[in-house]
Amino acid sequence: MSTADHNRWSDDLAAYLLGALKPDEAKVLERHLEECEHCRQEIRWLEPAVHALPEAVERQEAPRRLRESLMAEVRAEVRGAAAAPAPAARKRRWLLKPAMGFAVLALLVAGIVGYEVGRDGDGGSNRGSTIERRVEGLTVKMTQEGDGGKLELVGVGKLPPGKVLEAWVEREGQVEAVPALFVPDRDGHAETTIADMGGVKTVMVTEEPQGGSEAPTGEPIMTMSVPG
Amino acid sequence: MLVRREKAERLADEELMPLVGGQDPEAFEVIYDRHGGAAYSLAYRIVGDRTTAEEVTQEAFISVWRSGTRFDAGRGSVRSWLLSIVRNRAIDFLRSRAGKAPKLDFDDASALEQRPATEKTDEEALRRETAAELRGAIGKLPPDQSKVIELAYFGGFSHSEIAQIQGLPMGTVKGRMRLGLEKIRGELAEGLA
Repeated sequence: MSTADHNRWSDDLAAYLLGALKPDEAKVLERHLEECEHCRQEIRWLEPAVHALPEAVERQEAPRRLRESLMAEVRAEVRGAAAAPAPAARKRRWLLKPAMGFAVLALLVAGIVGYEVGRDGDGGSNRGSTIERRVEGLTVKMTQEGDGGKLELVGVGKLPPGKVLEAWVEREGQVEAVPALFVPDRDGHAETTIADMGGVKTVMVTEEPQGGSEAPTGEPIMTMSVPG
Repeated sequence: MLVRREKAERLADEELMPLVGGQDPEAFEVIYDRHGGAAYSLAYRIVGDRTTAEEVTQEAFISVWRSGTRFDAGRGSVRSWLLSIVRNRAIDFLRSRAGKAPKLDFDDASALEQRPATEKTDEEALRRETAAELRGAIGKLPPDQSKVIELAYFGGFSHSEIAQIQGLPMGTVKGRMRLGLEKIRGELAEGLA
């Protein structure tokens, strides 16, 4: 690769580290990184500069109630209260607005579940409160557990660096993020829990940056309708 | 309980994370006590109001609590990982909030010296020194380089949006980002030498 080529990638590396590349541009760069040790070294060299940026921020004293609220929630989960609906603060919903430009929204609004191949009579099965289907090369199993449900995926490939899986549910024309992010294990098995399945029409999963997103940032790796 | 907490306090972040992954609230509490202030400060710096910063910080830490097993020590420190989650959450919030411009003024040079006194561990002292070096490094950047870094990292703007905002070619914006980061990195390396 020529020096000019590397200079072009170098510019992209800095923008990538600053989170300033668009998702499709970032994917192209990530593919390049898989095969270019030179650029991986440059990323490793530059990364501390980006990690240091938040350290220079003016310090604010975090409210005591933040710690109290956080620990109360954590301890409640430990006590087995995880099945309770998440606090309203984290149940932000976003309306289905085509103007938002997400392809996934278009899929949902139009009711076109193009990724789903597990319709009745097409290899899928409904066994009591469990739905099991083949969706785009994945085996997807949804098990109803009380008011909630467990979503299991089998056959998930290795995620790109810095990515996690995030599930989304659609009900009453709105899409909500499922709080529990998840990743596949070495065998390609991934699962998450959906605390409240009430009124859910569709479940889908996308790859998102660490920490998750408030709205899907890419095409779903699977979308499955939930029988009413 | 007290002994358990004391034991957790003696562990490094990287040793605590497997415990957090195992749903150990004491380990999680120590992680919060070490990094919650920085996380909240970063969230406030990005979103510009305290209530939202609080919400963003809580969301980020709950995410860490629920995904602690995913921390990969080979790819950076717990603190960097955690702050990147806070940053992503805060930028998500900015992007979802239509019609309100993000707060974009860069921190002033005396920012960290105003930090409320806390227990001064060696780690904290080192962190403060590193932050001081960083402020110096950023202060030395030409304004055109610091501005694009600021808009991207704290404002959540893409390079093409920055190009539009500043009326510059996209290549120029990306080039300034690279030059700016290289200078900061060089200054940090000199400081550590």
